[in-house]
Amino acid sequence: MRQIRRLLRRKLPEWAEAVTMLCALNSIAVLSLIVLFVAWEALPALLGWTGVSLTFENKWSVEHEKCGLYVLLVSSLMASMGALAMAIPVGVAAAIFLAEVIPGGLREAVRPLIELLGAIPSVLYGFVGLKVVVPTVQRLFNLYYGQTALTASIVLAVMIVPTIVSLSSEIISAVPVEYREASLALGATKWQTVRHIVLPTAMPGIVASAILAFGRAMGETVAVVMVAGTSTELARPFWDFLQPIYPMTAAIAMGFGEAEVGGAAYHVYFAIGAILLAFAFTVNLVASLLLRKAPTRVRL
Amino acid sequence: MRVRSRSLTEKSVPVLCGLSTLLLLTIFSYICYLLSSGLEALRPAFLFSSILDGGILEPMVGTFYLFAGATAIVAPVGTLAAIYMVKYAPRGRLTRLVDAAINNLAGVPSIIFGIFGFTFFCKLLGLGICLLSGWMTMACMMLPIMTRSVEEALKMIPEHIREASLALGATRWQTIRHVVLPAAVPGILTGMVLSIGRIAGETAAILFTACFYTMRGLPQTPLDPTLTLTYYLYVLVLYMPGRLEPRQVFGLALVLFLLTVALNSVAFVFRAYCRRWRRWM
Repeated sequence: MRQIRRLLRRKLPEWAEAVTMLCALNSIAVLSLIVLFVAWEALPALLGWTGVSLTFENKWSVEHEKCGLYVLLVSSLMASMGALAMAIPVGVAAAIFLAEVIPGGLREAVRPLIELLGAIPSVLYGFVGLKVVVPTVQRLFNLYYGQTALTASIVLAVMIVPTIVSLSSEIISAVPVEYREASLALGATKWQTVRHIVLPTAMPGIVASAILAFGRAMGETVAVVMVAGTSTELARPFWDFLQPIYPMTAAIAMGFGEAEVGGAAYHVYFAIGAILLAFAFTVNLVASLLLRKAPTRVRL
Repeated sequence: MRVRSRSLTEKSVPVLCGLSTLLLLTIFSYICYLLSSGLEALRPAFLFSSILDGGILEPMVGTFYLFAGATAIVAPVGTLAAIYMVKYAPRGRLTRLVDAAINNLAGVPSIIFGIFGFTFFCKLLGLGICLLSGWMTMACMMLPIMTRSVEEALKMIPEHIREASLALGATRWQTIRHVVLPAAVPGILTGMVLSIGRIAGETAAILFTACFYTMRGLPQTPLDPTLTLTYYLYVLVLYMPGRLEPRQVFGLALVLFLLTVALNSVAFVFRAYCRRWRRWM
């Protein structure tokens, strides 16, 4: 025992660098494992080796070997785009308010509350959506069923707004004070300065926050399962938000548990996962490229 | 005319922006108000009895087990990784690569962690659906936040303290062990709380890795499946709507909500404390 301790005391400093390096490499290993596994398991479905081929037809029913990606892709895009359409105006306005209008003390009180809104578990959002938004939509539009694309968009909008607010307000506050002073000294009013100087400077960052929010909406699972409904076929064209949808994440969450390991359905779900993963990486790449132009260094 | 319309915008824009902020705060208060209807269900008989008797003891204890195990795995790994990135190779090629990996890992949707965990930990490593697989999956998810927070904390430590230690003849390891690490403790704790906060509300990732809703009793070993608050709520709402009274479901939701709020408040206080502490140093 004492020998081991003496050995440790003597060797630890020499090993320290190697051990910490291994831990740092760990995150690369985890990411590559995820990518490799998802790609490997998705390959049979993508290449059609399992006999069940992925198509783009408007019909999704894995049990009947109909895998039309149209339903899932369009559903995911509908829900996320609808959510963005609601979240961007509100989120950016709130970010401007937090960064430009409100005095510092009050800002420090409001910001954590909005951040808390983003930390609420998605299963709780699903629960609240099911209890509040679903019946409201159903009554308002006189529908037979309250779980629609609109419902999913509303719930997702609330979930992604904090992402937009916190990142955008941080970037708007980081616009150098000299820019504002120059504009004000030339006789521009406060709002002319915000409109013509501050917002254009912060624009790459604001766009990046919206893109990150989009990524979050695409990857959101549990809340969407609870409020989006399950539809094997999009009954009406995609601009009709009053129909039930079936986003990609919901399809995995509902179907993966029942899929037999190594079976055709199993690989199909991994193929959807691969598409989701590709979306996530693209979103990250574009957002980090945009953030390089931001007036401050923000890390994702 | 021109001047008047301009002064109108001048006044209306801040009001509009304020209304948006108010809308968000209203949504937040409404959620609080809605969940507060579960307050009357929060009795010891509900909190501390088994799910078989209509309580939520197993999900609560299971959530705790899940947090504890995942944090125990990720805290040392994340801390050591951050030490390497900040102290050993601040500008190396490897550091940049790890940085990119962490960024992308943070953006991977949780359902992907779920299906990856299922294939890798449960099937390939043969662990099955159990607490241990859940821990590993969760640790993968927590890794980015844990590493980032410790990195931030380490960067906050003033350079002159480290230089003083090196100047006194301490080796690099001695400096890290006796100077850097003690100063980073608040940062490490913040990282732990923040990364628990990240997974506290997680359902999608444990759906296929750690939970069975047919399971009964508490997990005895790490190789048993578990129940968590999030998963139990998910199952109650989607698959067994009539199992608990609506009031009790709200109670369960409230417990989950309070847990999230508590974790975030603790992280908030820690962070504020860290900042003040740094100024003092």
